[in-house]
Amino acid sequence: MLKLHGDETPSTIKEVILRLKVKDATKKHIFTARKTDSLRHIQNLMRDNGISAVPILETDLLAGMISVNDIISALDKGYIDDPAEKHMTKSLIILEDEMPLSYAIPFFDKYSYRRFPVVDKDGRLAGILSSRDILLALLHELNNEILELEKMINAEPADQMDRIKREFIVKKFDFENAGRASYELKKTLKDMNAPRQAVRKAAVAAYELEINIAIHSDGGVLAFEIDDRKIIITARDKGPGIEDITLALQPGYSTASDWIRSMGFGAGMGLANTQKVSDDFTIESSPKTGSFIQATIYLQAADEQAAEVG
Amino acid sequence: MRPEVLIDEAASRVKGKFLHRGSRKFARWIVASSLMSDVLTTDEEDILLLSNLNTAQVVRTADMIGAAAVMIACGKPVPQDTLDLARELDISLICTEFPIFETCIHLVPLFNTVKK
Repeated sequence: MLKLHGDETPSTIKEVILRLKVKDATKKHIFTARKTDSLRHIQNLMRDNGISAVPILETDLLAGMISVNDIISALDKGYIDDPAEKHMTKSLIILEDEMPLSYAIPFFDKYSYRRFPVVDKDGRLAGILSSRDILLALLHELNNEILELEKMINAEPADQMDRIKREFIVKKFDFENAGRASYELKKTLKDMNAPRQAVRKAAVAAYELEINIAIHSDGGVLAFEIDDRKIIITARDKGPGIEDITLALQPGYSTASDWIRSMGFGAGMGLANTQKVSDDFTIESSPKTGSFIQATIYLQAADEQAAEVG
Repeated sequence: MRPEVLIDEAASRVKGKFLHRGSRKFARWIVASSLMSDVLTTDEEDILLLSNLNTAQVVRTADMIGAAAVMIACGKPVPQDTLDLARELDISLICTEFPIFETCIHLVPLFNTVKK
């Protein structure tokens, strides 16, 4: 794995390197020669096109490589008219185009070659990868990434003025603190003078979701985002995921244990309640990724909005 | 709009003891339940929440629905954190020796009196 500055490497750079595959950096339009072509023909090919290595093919499969060094030796020793197959390097270190680029980078340290032939999954030659190609690909990708980031930074100020974002960590079985995030949301909305009905709905949705994280998950995060139109409450947890979402949404269905029920929770109404008070409701869950639930509540109810327009 | 019922009067009907007096003096509805999710389904405001539970989450739930007071039935001892949260959230906290059903019998006529 590529090491730039260890843990100091900015996450954007790490992401870019991990995202790129060998094929993203590979030079695909390359000059090749046949096994039967003479070294002189290859020398001309190199000179005319300013290249320093030529893959040698047998039909369309890679058979070997001829480098500038091979040509120099041929001129020196007088066998420049020999066919390529007689002098080409046959034991090649090759890369596969689907490999992550981060995997290919150490090859340049490990082996003394300055370029590696790249093949596709069927073993056909896909191109050549040099350190220059890697640099170009990284620069290109970083450029795009920074452009995206700049767009985000420029877009945010106008947007951010009326937007409030908060995140709270909710721990498993922490009933002492469960509800604090919802309390903060309610308080924020009240301070904003949000409509009473929206405050109530948002508080109930947030509280149900927060309690759900404490009861059912291994811990997670409750986040809310408020703009001038709506409140988005998001509950994300680390698992174990909901086995049957349809069943979980059914009022009265519960997997809670007796001691949770003894505290007044786990009646199987939490998700149904949340859905009831939400204007938009999304739920996704899997054993691998845990659960993601998002409840959106409009500050003005749909009928009020319609009345305003009409 | 339902009539206002003084929380003081409701408490005295069931020989309730105030553990904390919040700033809101009246309620219009009673919700009697020990299932917090059921409590959360109510649409009303100005509620007196009557429950068998004595945990802090009862007060938390009361706050989410904008309840004015929490009454704990069956004379259950009230833990300190429940009391602390009631103070923090400005919600009256009352304790009565009556079981929940009897408490309802005493309070329902009070809440059903329609003022002319």
